[in-house]
Amino acid sequence: MSESATKPMVTATLDGRTVTVPKGTTILQAAETVGVWVPHYCYHPGLSSPAQCRLCLVEVQGAPKLAPSCVTELQEGQVVHTESPKAKEMRQGVLEFYLANHPLDCPVCDQSGECKLQDYVHAEGRVHGRSREPKRGFGRDDYGRDVLFYGDRCGRCTRCVRFMDEVAKDPRLTVVERGNRSVIDTFFEEGLQGSAFAGNIVDICPVGALVSKDFLHKARAWDLDHSPSVCPNCSQGCNIDLHVRDDVVQRLRPRANLEVNHHWMCDYGRHRYEWMNRQDRIEVPVVGSSADGVALEWGLALRQVADRLANAPQPVMAVASASSSNEDLGALAHLVRALGGGEIVFRSERAEKEIPLPGFPTLTRRYDLVPNRMGAEILGMTRVGKDDGTGGLEGWAAHRGTLLVLGDELRDVGVDFGPSAGLYVYLGSYPTPAASSAHAVLPVTTFAEGEGTFANVEGRVQRFWPGVRPPGLARPAWLVLAALVERLGGAAVPESAEAAFLRVAELAPELQGLTYEAIGTQGALLNEPVALPGSRS
Amino acid sequence: MAVTVKVMHRPEAGETSYLRATLKGMALTFKHLVNPKKVTIEYPEERPFLSPRWRGTHVMETHADGRPKCVACGLCPTVCPANCIRLVGGEDDMGNRYPIVYEIDEFRCIFCGMCQEVCPVEAIHVGVHFENAEYTRDRFVYDLDRLMEQDHPSTLLWDPSDPLSE
Repeated sequence: MSESATKPMVTATLDGRTVTVPKGTTILQAAETVGVWVPHYCYHPGLSSPAQCRLCLVEVQGAPKLAPSCVTELQEGQVVHTESPKAKEMRQGVLEFYLANHPLDCPVCDQSGECKLQDYVHAEGRVHGRSREPKRGFGRDDYGRDVLFYGDRCGRCTRCVRFMDEVAKDPRLTVVERGNRSVIDTFFEEGLQGSAFAGNIVDICPVGALVSKDFLHKARAWDLDHSPSVCPNCSQGCNIDLHVRDDVVQRLRPRANLEVNHHWMCDYGRHRYEWMNRQDRIEVPVVGSSADGVALEWGLALRQVADRLANAPQPVMAVASASSSNEDLGALAHLVRALGGGEIVFRSERAEKEIPLPGFPTLTRRYDLVPNRMGAEILGMTRVGKDDGTGGLEGWAAHRGTLLVLGDELRDVGVDFGPSAGLYVYLGSYPTPAASSAHAVLPVTTFAEGEGTFANVEGRVQRFWPGVRPPGLARPAWLVLAALVERLGGAAVPESAEAAFLRVAELAPELQGLTYEAIGTQGALLNEPVALPGSRS
Repeated sequence: MAVTVKVMHRPEAGETSYLRATLKGMALTFKHLVNPKKVTIEYPEERPFLSPRWRGTHVMETHADGRPKCVACGLCPTVCPANCIRLVGGEDDMGNRYPIVYEIDEFRCIFCGMCQEVCPVEAIHVGVHFENAEYTRDRFVYDLDRLMEQDHPSTLLWDPSDPLSE
């Protein structure tokens, strides 16, 4: 182990298992390395530990009292029991105290199904409570932004208070009152208004005290399928999970990646998921102009398009989208190369300012509001147009050669785009007036429906997985483009998104040597360090 | 082991007239015509006895002010083995969670009664009822209003005086 050379290690016994960890590791973290899960509320890997929930107490042999495992460092030779009768009895007692005031409104609580209190009480709690006192009530409070507070459910773990203090560095929450009456509250009337990261306190709340207004009563936690993905709303590339029910994305949740977004994500990205559920879609390939276009099955459509591309009028010009994956963009570049080369441009939206997370500045809502500007640039595509994602295609109306469009909806250009082009092929997900003069319109999947990779602002290539089934006959763009290349006499169609990714490396030395396995769930850096596009003018 | 089959002797048509057997059968028929231990009833004037544990089409219980008792917790669509319940939850003007859409497809329903058993607020019940005839198939998807209108008694899944059947 390389760690042992730099840091002294300690070896101890934990529930009969031998565990060796660097000195300074807490018992709770050490237990996780050997698969022992110590119940806890107030401890969160991204926050400080106040050791106040008293649920992670474990028995350390020789110690007079139980020790809070979230702050107690593992010592050499220690013998720790997390499941001893003493520790279990204590946990049961603590859980009973939590339920003294916690309303048993699980049927109407949004946290039900992913609630730590529910889990722990089911696992170890008493079957019946013995408290005869009436429960105290607080009602609910609107904290502003997307956050709703149900005071009755709160267990005062103060994760939300500590998040706002330590990570958002914007202390707007505190504990008021004492003892039984203590409750989380905001300082001023504006509550969380103006905070750009407040949505995270809903994620870290272990019970249903803080819930999202957007998600309120929308779906039950056990109905949601979780697909690991990458946030497509800026070039930071926060790792996220798509929570999907019945092929509809219900919410985005951050996925831990200590190099990119730790455990957090910004509210900007979190609330921009409705476009993934757009119902107006191109569902079948249409060949021919809008007046006499014919819907065809793929084999026929690809053959007809390839036949026309074989005699593609020169020059070739293409509009790509920085919201497309590396696989899609690479396949487009391969097709343009097979047609004799040409210019590929993309347009992307840019924000006026970045929004950094003060406690973890690596996570910043970046200037570029597209996920894969880096990928487009290492593939030799140039950014054109204005910062609102429009313009840049003024001279293209008179273009007489071949025109390819991938992904860009071209809303600002409208029907004036491409009527004079010798051949105009539009690959997209959504119907747009700009495709009305296209000779072929081919339906492709969106980011949520396909597999692929994005390269984020620091040059980290990250994978995303499909969460939603594609509508109609829509296919991944890399598959469509590679099939056209094959019919033009190029390489055979790659069998998977991974094979398509490996082929992209032929075009970009930065990607060489990277595989899906090496990228994994946490991403891998490009081979050559690239200047941050966000720092460019 | 070889299977032994008893071979019945059946007389051919010319060997017997079957008169004796026919008379025996008719005697039984006429006996039942005047038998006081009859099993048929004069439906619909007479009603059959249904057990209080009979599981028929559903009933949604309501509060005194007419609101459904359902809190849209989502347990019945989760537990339903036939997947026949569609539920969309929402919030009413008093801040309570309630079902915006609650539909039961009675054709898909297998009347297992698990929805009643799982309901934490005793809102949805299977009912003691069997007369469900309709003119169209779509009438068998009962929406929330229809479920609340049902006036037949709810099923008792267990004896309230002996809930553990001891």
